[in-house]
Amino acid sequence: MDLTRSAIEALAPDQSALAAASALLKPGKWPLRARSERLIWGECQGSGAHPYRVAADIEDRGSKCTCPSRKFPCKHALALMWMFVEDSAVFQAGDIPDWVQDWIGRRRKGASPPAVAGEDKSLDAAHPAPADSAPDPEAEARRKAASQKRADETRRSVHAATVDLDVWIADQLRTGLAGFLGAPGERCRRIAARLVDAKAGALASRIEEMPSRLLALPGEGRVEAAIAELGKLVLLTRAWRAGSGDSELRREVVNAETREEVLTDPAAPRVAALWEVLGERLATRRDGLVSQATWLLSLNQTTQRFALLLDFFPASAGRRGSAFIAGERFQAELAFYPARAPLRAVIVSREGAVDAPDPWPDPPADPFAEYAESLLTTPWLTETPLLLPEGRICADAAGRAWWAGQGLWAPLRDPPPPLALGASFECAAGVWDGARLCLLAARTNWGRLAFHGCS
Amino acid sequence: MAVLESSLAHIRGAWMAGRPAFEHCPPEWRGAIEGVDSECVLAALAGHAAAVLFRPAPTTPPAPRPLLPRLAPPILPEPLRPQARRLMATQKGKAPIERHFIDFLAARGYVLHPADWMPSPRDDWAPDAYAPWLDWIRGEEKPFPPPSFTLDAYERWSPAMRRAALATLRASDPGAARAILAAKASSEPAERRVLLIEILETGLCDQDAEFLEAQANDRSDRVQALASNYLARLGRRADADALTTELADRLEVRSSEAPGSRRQLAIDAMKNTAQNARRRDLFKLVSLAGLARALDLTEEEIVATAPAGAPGDVDAFVQMVAATGSHHACQMLLDQMLDDDALPLACARPLGSRLTSEAQRALQPRILQRDAAMFETTLTLMGRALGEAPLPALLASPGYAALMSAVEAARGEDEAQRRAADAILEAALSRLALLAAAPAAAALLARLTASGLSPADPRLDLLRLNAALTTEVVS
Repeated sequence: MDLTRSAIEALAPDQSALAAASALLKPGKWPLRARSERLIWGECQGSGAHPYRVAADIEDRGSKCTCPSRKFPCKHALALMWMFVEDSAVFQAGDIPDWVQDWIGRRRKGASPPAVAGEDKSLDAAHPAPADSAPDPEAEARRKAASQKRADETRRSVHAATVDLDVWIADQLRTGLAGFLGAPGERCRRIAARLVDAKAGALASRIEEMPSRLLALPGEGRVEAAIAELGKLVLLTRAWRAGSGDSELRREVVNAETREEVLTDPAAPRVAALWEVLGERLATRRDGLVSQATWLLSLNQTTQRFALLLDFFPASAGRRGSAFIAGERFQAELAFYPARAPLRAVIVSREGAVDAPDPWPDPPADPFAEYAESLLTTPWLTETPLLLPEGRICADAAGRAWWAGQGLWAPLRDPPPPLALGASFECAAGVWDGARLCLLAARTNWGRLAFHGCS
Repeated sequence: MAVLESSLAHIRGAWMAGRPAFEHCPPEWRGAIEGVDSECVLAALAGHAAAVLFRPAPTTPPAPRPLLPRLAPPILPEPLRPQARRLMATQKGKAPIERHFIDFLAARGYVLHPADWMPSPRDDWAPDAYAPWLDWIRGEEKPFPPPSFTLDAYERWSPAMRRAALATLRASDPGAARAILAAKASSEPAERRVLLIEILETGLCDQDAEFLEAQANDRSDRVQALASNYLARLGRRADADALTTELADRLEVRSSEAPGSRRQLAIDAMKNTAQNARRRDLFKLVSLAGLARALDLTEEEIVATAPAGAPGDVDAFVQMVAATGSHHACQMLLDQMLDDDALPLACARPLGSRLTSEAQRALQPRILQRDAAMFETTLTLMGRALGEAPLPALLASPGYAALMSAVEAARGEDEAQRRAADAILEAALSRLALLAAAPAAAALLARLTASGLSPADPRLDLLRLNAALTTEVVS
């Protein structure tokens, strides 16, 4: 069964899926397009920070995409097949990557997606129609005015919410942290709901996640951590009230910019470099979203530079395949969300994976001093990536694991794999939250070591 | 700093109890926090100070473990590691091939990278090449052991390394190994004594009897049982007459009048399940030699009879032979089971541990020819002699024919048949890959893909790895 235009038309769930797919036919949206004998696969940059991974079987026309769309096949799979039918030469022959192998292994053998009957669907009709005319200046002005009005209302509402939050924090201190730590979930949920109503969504999420951060700590460390968390909230709300036009503060309190806003923001720094994927962390949040955080480290720069690709998707959408493989390296230009210490980023353009032997940048002698420095400019920071110098992993008498460097100690958040205790670390990368270190990857005498939960 | 630390401790104490903490704040902070929301501002300052000025540190700095030692064999080549990781991950929750896979790699002369697999402290089954890691993971490693293993150097070698060295010594100089065991076994804990005495299985001979008789009175039941079984294999175990007679009474040796036919050991169903269970227990308590005496036969005569009965009962008999029969009796029984189509070969699996690797290799074509369990019996009987089966032997096996039928069925229209065929392929392809020699694996890959399996099918991963391990990397 050859893949043809009419086959794609038959597969499409509806005409709108084809129309959406036609918008994805630009080569710039596809940093990777490859093929083997009967499989094609690619990576499509969607609206999130991570690209979607798409694969299709050109014989039985099965397909798989990491996007959360309920349509099957989704627009990415349709676009991949469409591009292949139009010009298969743009698909480079290559070895089937692990994520495609995984899909083949899991899919129902021989199960082809049924052709969807019903409305007439056509690839020709799916191409977007050219814009009719120039935008109406009056309508544009009305839209801007309405937008400004909404922004003002949000600012006022959030301002009031931050005052409310200060009162709540004072209440927790006044009534005793023992009581707060006894039922942090209930108390945080109530104030978080009020913050959501006041349009301070990001602040609400941070407070909703606070109990899980606190309760993950050993009992003796929770009071100190609670004070630190509440103190950071005080600093954040005061900073917001002092200058609510700051985009970084807006991201911490209200919501983050969209990918498109970051790409068009002249203040968003752009960095073209060779990046290594340190690892991925998936965490299910209390609001039912899964946060997918991929940590990158630039390799061809003299000083360390980390980047965080962060996406959220509903837990109900099921497990999503990883967008990258730990240890993978690629040349890419990233646009960073404007910040005092830019970290979160989106990919502007990317080339395929490279097999480069570039070493990691030299780590600082005391990375924790750098963390303390960063707290002076961004005191509400909850965690920061660190590049750690030479060290070992040790276990104390209670079995708790520590990273140990030259006179430096950091307790690990998760139990390390057995090999970590027997390897010498040339350097390591991890995320430090002020109390615990979550190791992402290390370069050891046994080669690159990935850590649990950071695949 | 100590003053600040003390202030912060008082502040924490006050807030835990719900008291104002202002009075505990350091004097130099007071100017900044006086006024409205002073407690909130104090929280901001206290939290910030704790994060910036103090660092967590262990009360007693723990010492690092010694570095994980390098193993003697090479690590699986880097290009094949992702495949190996994927194989081990996909096998989780399915038919376990992890042990076979590790044995297969060891047979090819490789070990896994420690980031991909390390033995757990209880993995005594791991190939001897992993002994240094077993010792390390148990915290029993010894620094700088002397280069050669001798009685004097015994204590300076770590336990798993010792066992591996003793096994090697037993193969080349059985007497020297026995002498070391006799001198040192009693100083080891019971779990290790069992593992050490198991070494005597290689080249078990009459000279071992004196040592084994001493172990038969060991304080550990497991050591006693093992030594007693080994003595039985040497024909030196005295079973209780009551037990041997009781078992013999529950069996019958039938003679056939037909010319050329053999005597048959009938293990007929008993009247009830309790009696059947008792007979199975007796097979565990009585040795082959003891039963033979009770039936007035020799060991050879009893295994020459064709055991007939329910598979579970035949299995119990075979297990008794495997545990207590002489080397010759075990070989005779396996020979007979291979020749007799009426006997289910799957029942012969316990005999695999009694075969030397040379015998396993020699018997492999016959085993394959009789294996109706999609290579499962062959895999068990071959023990650690994996990755050596030549293509003709594999192609001639019923397992291969069934496999090709499954490939065909997997391409069919019938959903139920497709699912059944997929399940067969899933299990059989892995087993086939573990058995095949590298050139055979390459040839099988070509045949299977020509028959309709996708070259990208992950169920072919192990065959691909097998083929690559020699043809692309080693040679």
